[in-house]
Amino acid sequence: MKELRFRIILIVAAVVLSIYLLYPTYLNYQNNKKIDEILAQKRIQIEKADPNISNDAVDTRLKAIEDSIKATDPSINKDKLKSLKLGLDLQGGMRVVLEVNTGKLLEKLAKNPDDTFKQVLAEAEKEASTSDASIVDLVAQKLEARGIRLSRYYGNIREDDSQIISDLNKSANDAVSRAMEIIRNRVDQYGVSEPTIQREGSRRIIVELPGIAREEEAKQLLQGTALLEFKLVKDPQFTISVMKKIDDVLAGNVSVDSASTDSASVAKNSEKPSAKQDTTNPQNMSAAEFAKKHPFFSVAILDQRSQTADAFVKAEDRDKIKLWLNRPDVQNVIPDNCQFVFSAKPEVVQNGENYYRMYCVDKTPELTGGVVTNATASIDPETNAPVVNMEMNSEGAADWARITGANVGKRIAIVLDGVVYSAPVVQGKIPGGRSQINGMANLEEAQLLAIVLKAGALPAPVDIIEERTVGPSLGQDSINDGFNSTLLGFLVVSFFMIIYYQRAGTIAAASLIFTILFILGALAGFNATLTLPGIAGIILTIGMAVDANVLIYERIREEMETGKTLKASVDSGFSKAYSAIIDSNITTFITGLILYQFGTGPVQGFALTLMIGLVASLFSALVIARVVFDYMVQKGIKISLG
Amino acid sequence: MRIFENIHIDWLGKRRIFYAVSLSLFLIGWITVFVRGLHFGIDFKGGTEIVLEFQKPVNVSTIRSYVSNIGLGNVELKTFGGETGVLARTELQQLPHNLIPRVVDHINAAIQKIYPGLDAKVIDTTASSVTYQLPNPDTTNLLVSKLYVAGFQTGKVSEEPTNTQMVVRVAIADWLKENLSKKVSDNPFKIIKEDHVGPKVGNELKTNAIIAIFLSLLGILIYLAFRFKFIFALGAVVALFHDVLITIGLYAALYGVIPGLNLEIDLTVVAAFLTLIGYSVNDTVIVFDRVRENLKIHKTMDLEELINQSVNRTMSRTILTAGTVLLAVLVLLIFGGEVLRAFSFTLFFGTITGTYSSIFIASALVLEYANRFQKKVQF
Repeated sequence: MKELRFRIILIVAAVVLSIYLLYPTYLNYQNNKKIDEILAQKRIQIEKADPNISNDAVDTRLKAIEDSIKATDPSINKDKLKSLKLGLDLQGGMRVVLEVNTGKLLEKLAKNPDDTFKQVLAEAEKEASTSDASIVDLVAQKLEARGIRLSRYYGNIREDDSQIISDLNKSANDAVSRAMEIIRNRVDQYGVSEPTIQREGSRRIIVELPGIAREEEAKQLLQGTALLEFKLVKDPQFTISVMKKIDDVLAGNVSVDSASTDSASVAKNSEKPSAKQDTTNPQNMSAAEFAKKHPFFSVAILDQRSQTADAFVKAEDRDKIKLWLNRPDVQNVIPDNCQFVFSAKPEVVQNGENYYRMYCVDKTPELTGGVVTNATASIDPETNAPVVNMEMNSEGAADWARITGANVGKRIAIVLDGVVYSAPVVQGKIPGGRSQINGMANLEEAQLLAIVLKAGALPAPVDIIEERTVGPSLGQDSINDGFNSTLLGFLVVSFFMIIYYQRAGTIAAASLIFTILFILGALAGFNATLTLPGIAGIILTIGMAVDANVLIYERIREEMETGKTLKASVDSGFSKAYSAIIDSNITTFITGLILYQFGTGPVQGFALTLMIGLVASLFSALVIARVVFDYMVQKGIKISLG
Repeated sequence: MRIFENIHIDWLGKRRIFYAVSLSLFLIGWITVFVRGLHFGIDFKGGTEIVLEFQKPVNVSTIRSYVSNIGLGNVELKTFGGETGVLARTELQQLPHNLIPRVVDHINAAIQKIYPGLDAKVIDTTASSVTYQLPNPDTTNLLVSKLYVAGFQTGKVSEEPTNTQMVVRVAIADWLKENLSKKVSDNPFKIIKEDHVGPKVGNELKTNAIIAIFLSLLGILIYLAFRFKFIFALGAVVALFHDVLITIGLYAALYGVIPGLNLEIDLTVVAAFLTLIGYSVNDTVIVFDRVRENLKIHKTMDLEELINQSVNRTMSRTILTAGTVLLAVLVLLIFGGEVLRAFSFTLFFGTITGTYSSIFIASALVLEYANRFQKKVQF
C-alpha cells in the first residue's frame, strides 16, 4: 500500500480539484434553473393581468425582473463568471469581425475632395477589394501618376508625400482604437455578459457577444458613431442633498404617493441638520444596521476626506444603483436638471474590489464633442506628467472660453455615450480653444482620453467583414445533441472494452469517467470555452483515451504468454507500452497546437479540448489504471484480460 | 475475447496489391476533383448564409420559387436538420446594383407609412447602405427608432444633437428575410443561424488552412525523425499525405451522392483533417515502435520478415484502437447533429484509410527504401 500512497493522493487531489473547479458550473446551472422558473411564473402573471400585451413588452419587463434578481444577489454573477463557459455556437450569440473602412476615412479627412479625388478614391477602393494593397498607398500612387501632390488634399503644403502617407496610416490606426473604445463602452453599457473585444492586425476588431438574442440590437452597438459631451459636475452640497433624498426614499422614510414629496423631504432635511453627520457616519452603528437605515449610502460610499461629493460604488453594486435610480419614486426626488453617471472604468481598487466613481452632473451638456478637432496625448516636458492637448474649432472655442470663464474652480465631466472618462477642474478661462488636461496617472490613460475626445467628432467608419450569428434555439439543440452523443459514445466504448477485456476493460471504462471529469474541470479552470466542436473533441477523446489501455492490455497479454507472473507481466506491459503511447499522443498533440494557433472560435475550442483530453487520458491510463492494477496484484485479486 | 491472434500473413509480399488499391482510390477521387471540383462552404468561398426554422414543415422547392425572382440571382437552398429547417445561401457579398432602386423604394414606402409626406432625401447610396437627409433632429431620432422597430437596420450618422442624417443598412440577409416573410405569412420562421463572410476573409482562411495542414505534417516529420530514423518519419508522413488526399478525393466523389450528408469543406472539416493527421499517425507509430523494438532484438533478421512479424503482432491493437475511435465517431456521425456531420464523416473515413495506410503503406515504403538503396536499417 505504501508505494501506492503518493499516487493515490495525486489522483484524489486531481479529482477534488476538478470537482472544485466544476462546482460553480453546477451552482450556475441551479441559479439559471431557478431564475427561469421565476420568469416563467412572472410571464404567466403578466399575461394574465394584461392579455393584450405584446410579446416584446413582456420580454422587456421580464428582462428587468431578471436584472433585478441578479442585482440583488451578486453570488449569481460570481458563479457565472467561474463556471464553464459555453461558446457562441452553444449558447447562441454573435461574432463579428469589423474592419476600418480606410476609403471612407480618407474621404472624410480630405480637405477639399474634388471630382478627381473622388474618382481616384473609387478606383483605389475597387483595386483594394481584390488585393492586399493598402488604400492609402494606392491613392498616393494614383495621385502621383496624375501629377498631383498629396498635400493638395491632406496635411499642409510643406509636408512631402511620405510624411503625409505615414500620418494617414496613423489616422487609420487611430480610427481602430476609437472604434474599439466606442464599442467597448457601448457593449459595457448594454450589459452583454462576458463580451470579448480584441484587435486583430492593424485594421480589424473582433467582437464576440454571447447570448445576444436580437442581432439587430447588437449591430446598433457596433456602429462607429458616439456622443461626446462636456457636462458640469454639480456642487458637493447639492449632490449630497440629492443623495440624502434618495437614501430616505430607499429606506422608506418618506412616503412618495402624494404631491407633498418635495416639501416632506425638505422638511426632513431641515429638521435634523446637526444629526446629518452622525447618521452618515458608519462608525456609530453596525454595518447591517447602517445598510438598513441608509441603503443608498451603504453602497454609494462617500469619501469623508474628499472635497467632492463623488460616491464610490463597488463594481457588483453598479447595476443595483442603476436600478434604484430608475425607480419612479427615486426619480421623483431627483431634480430635473441633474443625473448620476458612472466612471467608464473602475477607479479605485480596495481589498480586491473594483470601485466605480459616481458623479452627479448637469443633464444638459455645455458643449458636445463635434467641436473637438484634435486631441493628442503627450508627456509635458516641464512637469514630466502625462497631458492631453485638446483643440477646438473656432465656433467651439468661443463657447469654451465662455463656459470655462464662468466656471473656474468647477469640474467639467467628459462624458462619452453616458459614462465619464475624466472630470478635470477648470483652472481658468481658456480662450482660443486650446486646452490642456492633466492629472492622468500614466501615458496610457492620457492616450485613452485623447481617443475619447476625438470619438465625438471624427468618424471611425467600420465595415462588418465577417459575421456569424447562432440563435439560442439552435444552440440548445446542439447542446442536447452533444450531451446525448457524449453519453452514448461513452456507453458504446465502455461496453466494448468491458466485453473485450472483461475486468481490465471495466477498469478502462471507469477511468474514462475520470478522463471526462478532468477535461471538464480543466476547461473550467483554464477559463476556456466549450464549443460544439469542443464537445466533438470530448467524444473523440473518449474513443482515443482507451487506445492507451488497449496498447497496455495487449502488451500484458503478450507478456503473460511468455510465461511471466501476473505481477511481472503488468510491470513490463505498462513499461513497454509507454514509448508507443507517448509517441502517438505527442503527434496528435502537435496537430492540436497548430490547430489552436490557426483556428478561430469554435475550432480553437476543439483543439483545446483535444489537447486537454490527451493529457487527461494519459493520466487516467498511466496513473489511475496503473494504481488499480497494482492494488489488485498486491491483494491477489484476479485480473482477467478476456 | 481475442481477434487477429497469431496471424502469420505475408503482408509485405502483397504490397503491390495495396499500391494498386491506393492508386485506384486516389485516381477515382482526384479525377472527380478535377471534373466536378471541390465544394467549399461559406467559410472559404465567402458570401451570406442564413438558416431559417419554420413553424411547420416546408418544401424547399416552394421556397425556391419564392426567392427566384427577388433579384439575388441564384440562391442555393437546401434542408437543414429536419423538415422545418431551410438553409439559404448566396455567394453575393452585397446587393446587386440593379436591386438598389427597389430596396430604396421599399425603404421610402416604409418611411411614408410612418410619416406620410415627410421630406426624406436620399443623399448617398452604396451597395450596403442608404443615407437620408431629414428636415430636423427630432424627426431623425424618431424615424431612426420607428424604422428600426419596423425591422430596418437604422442608425444616426452622428450622435450630435443637431444630427439630421439617417443611415439605413441594407444587407442580403435582410432583403431575403423581408421578401420571404411576406410570401410565407402562414408559416412564420425564425432565423437560427446567420453567417456572412467577406471575400478577403475567405481567402485568408483558405491560406491559413493550407499552412496549418503543411505545418502539422512538418511537425510530425520532425518529431518522428527525432524519435525514429528519418526514413520512418518519411514513410509515416507519406502515408499521412495518402490519407488526406484519398479523403479529399472521397469528398469530391461522394458530394451530393448520399442524401442528407452535406459534404462541403468548411473550417470544422479542416479541423477534422488536422485531427486526422495527428491521429492516423498513431497506428503507424504502434507498428514502427514494434519494428524498432524487434530491430534491436533480432539484429540479423531479414527486414521484410521482421516488418511482417511486427505488423502481425500489432495487428490486433491497431484494429482495436482504430475501432474504439470509429465507434465514438460513428455515434457523433449519427447523433451529433447537422452542424457536425461533415466533420464526423471526415474523421470516420479518415480513420479507416489512416489505419489501412499505417499497416500497408507506411511500412512498405520503409522496406522499399531499404531495398532500393541496399541500406541496413538499424537502431
